[in-house]
Amino acid sequence: MEAAALMDLELNPGIWLALFFAPILASFPIAFIWPRRQDSFARKLPILSVFGLFISFLITLFILFRVEEGRYVYPWLPSIGINFVFVADYLSKYMGALTGFIAFTIGVYGLEYMKEDYRLGWYWFFFNLFTASMLLVVYSDNLFMLLIGWEGLGIASWGLIGHWFRDDDELSYVGVMDRKVGPLKMFWSPSTGGWRAISTIRVGDMPMFLAVAAIFALTGTLDISQIHWGELFEKIGTAGTVILFLAFLMGPFTKSAQLPFSEWLMTAMTGPTTVSALLHSATMVAAGTYLFMRISWYIKPWEIHLPGVEIVYTLVLFLGLVSSLYGASVALASRERKVLLAASTMSSLGLMFASASASYWLGEFAVIVAFWYLITHAFAKATLFLVAGHIIHETHDRFLGGDREVFSKMKLTAIVTLFATVTLAGIPPLTAYWVKSAMDEVMEKLVHDVGILPFVLLVTISAIYSAFLAKFFALNFWKGRHVHLHLHGGGVMKTAYTAMVSMLLVLLAVIYLGIDHAGEEFIHAGMAEVSFMVGILVLVAYVVGFAKPEHENAVGRVLYDRVYVMALNDYIVPKIGWAIAWIVDIFNRLLDFIAHTFIPALFEALSMSVRVVQSGSLERYTKIVVSLVLGILFVVSVAGWF
Amino acid sequence: MIYAVFIPAIAIVLAPFIRGRAAAYFSALTFLVSFLAILYAFVMKLEYAVDLFTAFEPIGRIYLLGDTISHAFGFTIALVSAMVALYSYPYMKHRFEEMELNADAEFKKYWFLYNLYAASMLWLVYAGNLILLYVFLEISLIASFLLIYYYGYGNRIWVGLLYFVWTNIAGVLALIGFLMIGFDNQTLALDSIASVSMAAWLFIFVGMIVKLPGLGPHVWLPWAHAEAPTPVSALLSPLTVGLAAYILLRIYLIDSSFIEAYRTEIFLYGVITSVVAGFAVFKQKDHKKLLAYSTVSQMGYILIAFTLGTAGIVGVIIQYISHAFGKSILFMSAGAIIAIYHGLRDLEKMSGMHEQIPTIANAALIGFMNLSGILAIGMIGEFFILKGLVDTFGLSLDAILLVVFVFIISGLYSFYTMKRIYYGRVRDYSRVKVNRLLDTPLYIIGAISILFILPPLATWFVDAVVTFLGGV
Repeated sequence: MEAAALMDLELNPGIWLALFFAPILASFPIAFIWPRRQDSFARKLPILSVFGLFISFLITLFILFRVEEGRYVYPWLPSIGINFVFVADYLSKYMGALTGFIAFTIGVYGLEYMKEDYRLGWYWFFFNLFTASMLLVVYSDNLFMLLIGWEGLGIASWGLIGHWFRDDDELSYVGVMDRKVGPLKMFWSPSTGGWRAISTIRVGDMPMFLAVAAIFALTGTLDISQIHWGELFEKIGTAGTVILFLAFLMGPFTKSAQLPFSEWLMTAMTGPTTVSALLHSATMVAAGTYLFMRISWYIKPWEIHLPGVEIVYTLVLFLGLVSSLYGASVALASRERKVLLAASTMSSLGLMFASASASYWLGEFAVIVAFWYLITHAFAKATLFLVAGHIIHETHDRFLGGDREVFSKMKLTAIVTLFATVTLAGIPPLTAYWVKSAMDEVMEKLVHDVGILPFVLLVTISAIYSAFLAKFFALNFWKGRHVHLHLHGGGVMKTAYTAMVSMLLVLLAVIYLGIDHAGEEFIHAGMAEVSFMVGILVLVAYVVGFAKPEHENAVGRVLYDRVYVMALNDYIVPKIGWAIAWIVDIFNRLLDFIAHTFIPALFEALSMSVRVVQSGSLERYTKIVVSLVLGILFVVSVAGWF
Repeated sequence: MIYAVFIPAIAIVLAPFIRGRAAAYFSALTFLVSFLAILYAFVMKLEYAVDLFTAFEPIGRIYLLGDTISHAFGFTIALVSAMVALYSYPYMKHRFEEMELNADAEFKKYWFLYNLYAASMLWLVYAGNLILLYVFLEISLIASFLLIYYYGYGNRIWVGLLYFVWTNIAGVLALIGFLMIGFDNQTLALDSIASVSMAAWLFIFVGMIVKLPGLGPHVWLPWAHAEAPTPVSALLSPLTVGLAAYILLRIYLIDSSFIEAYRTEIFLYGVITSVVAGFAVFKQKDHKKLLAYSTVSQMGYILIAFTLGTAGIVGVIIQYISHAFGKSILFMSAGAIIAIYHGLRDLEKMSGMHEQIPTIANAALIGFMNLSGILAIGMIGEFFILKGLVDTFGLSLDAILLVVFVFIISGLYSFYTMKRIYYGRVRDYSRVKVNRLLDTPLYIIGAISILFILPPLATWFVDAVVTFLGGV
């Protein structure tokens, strides 16, 4: 578990190649055949893609159990010292297996969920590319190689969020159709969702790319575990550290939808639910926090006492907590099934950032807590999304709704949801309770260095979080309005989310049985009085949330509109952009006019005035010649005079 | 081996006599053979200097020069020319029908001019003497001018002349610079020039700014590139304008004093060029004009990269290649829509086109990925440019923000355009079967552009360039 110096080890490169290329290659048949024929044969091909995901999953398990911790180096651009470097360590082993499992399970679910879709080739290609990219990010030690996976995530998320590109299905929109608040349109189509995702992510990726290049320029290496971070930060000073580090973190911040880059995540709900499930649990948004944990793991900020590093980690701490509070509040006020879950993901991501940043003061344990929270959250959130997808499928309604009829007709689904929400909320003695307790402990310890605020925020967030999870359960299965159920099939989907939710029990076992060392610490933290109090508070919040899931008030309405943060994406930035584009356009037209109309016209006029001479009339020519001769004679005679 | 670059000469002579589709295949084949030979020479790091003859002073020795830089530009030109040749057949057939011309007769003329145009660019990068280089520059100019003049769109005669005048200004300014170098050094052979005076640099630089183009003179480019017949656009924009970068690069490698003296000015000029053109892309209503503005924006990258030291020079080379790949795909995708839907190029009449022509839409996506540096060779280019930025300006916040802003804009207009054309409400166009020659060449270029970030191509490529420049 200790982040000791990693050994360079040997492993057959075929394993890594298969890990990344099996899913991609397995999706080629459907990707290439689908545009040509959409018959029953083509509709069977997705099974192949899922098989590719399965291979990846097996390999991640192999790495988890059979591959030694260390670095595995294969030449890529040896002339500048950049290589493919895979790392198997505490973080990547778990994270890889997590990604492999979740992607495969969601893949299976997607076989049924996407059965009738009109764009299967596109869907499966990008789904598998998404998974492969995430695995690349997970196992990369080299930052440039990581960026390839990172960009792969970006492009795949764009493809998947905008999957239903025709914008013709109300069910694929986010927001209430045709609703407007002031100049803001409060509904978003899939093509808009895709555009918002990629445009936000580009804003973060480019600074991050610059930071990576800068690290290379300054240290000559890009291997996270090999860079002497302390020396680097010392060399570039406080301002340099802040610039470099924040530029780097722009990537994780945008990918993980921290304020003010959160809006794309909400409208990412325009994609198929399977995509949301994958995007919110193990890939994409998790990639941001995972990367922050990974570099913190090797930067070891707790050993570096430089003001620049402290500034950055303090900033991440509060940004994370504030984003988390925002996300939780928005989720509490949300009325759409998937948007509620999206906002809750944002909240969880904030907590991961906050907890991992506490490592500056508290050491490695804070990163482990954040990482375990990521894992717990991933399984629970994937389950909730898959459930939401199933309900949307059966009700043809993306808004929260469902009474006891839903509960009685979809019992398994309801129980899975109940278990996932209760577990994720952090109610003792279930999985997330222990991890959350450790997080309470971490924030509590920060009182000495940072103050009481982080702890207060965490407790508040935990309570709100629990309340909206209860709301999600209550409004879908118990107290919501009546909805029409169109029950048919669903067997594969049920199997998938049951498998998903059962992983939470596996995690619980890992903690109880002390299979992982962190488990003991979590149990210890969970036994503390403070943690137990928080646990009780969370339970109370859940009960209150269940008892009164809806409460109309002014604050709620503002939160329902996500505090109008979308103005940034939909109004402020576009307005500025279009204003500049308008000026630029006028400038170009003016230049074009001068160069291609005005100056040629000027020449035309000049040539006209010259051409007046050339009239063809003999009389005129005679006059000119005579006057010229006279002129010359005059000049000569004047010259002769002197 | 260096004679492999002259294989396309066979196509110049013979292709006009071949009827139908075979002429396209034959032309493409000659360029492909060249491409493979150059790639081989590139990977093996073969260098050539083949003397042709020695002319009087100040021209000096005329020879063919083949080194890593020539090869890097050369294989790009050969590959793109080959693919565009294939694409030309269905496209020009449609164009001749549209213009009510006799296809057989016109194809004779077309293949001669097309192959001459493409081959002269290929030969340009192997010219070892600035006069020889200038001669090839003029040949490519005349051939492309004639292609626009005969087969262009809109007011093609006016546009053709406009193109001719502007590019000639560029050529003549460069020629004056070349001659000044010649009189200073008594030779114009690239390997014997000892120094380049500031005045000569200025002439060449300004000339190449017109051709590249930088902000200001860029007004000619949207006309020429938009109104040229699309296969010609698909050479003009990806290959021809970037040759200005090649010429600057050759001079830079002899004597970089000018760029170093005006580093900040050129850097800022590049940034402004790129930003202004990038914003202009959003306002375009014509598909090909939009792509033309994006070319100007991408050429701004090259100006920026020139000022960033050795890593920047690697960036220049890769940027040329990545832009060539990306933009040729994009122009061909625009042309495919024109050919399929009888002249459809007004963006306001397009949306949801993915529905009817998914293969073109997907190819365009790869093209835009190249421009924005996502999972394609452009990524390595951006990496070197950014590294050069830190090498040159350190962690200076303003320089960082400017370049990052430039890169962000490319990504934004790329995906905004994707959304505009291919996503959203599906319009009432019929679904058609796309001619294979209208989409396959796009995918071949796309595949190669993606393979260039993986071994072995990436390994060879970066190794060759870095070794040639003596490390970064």
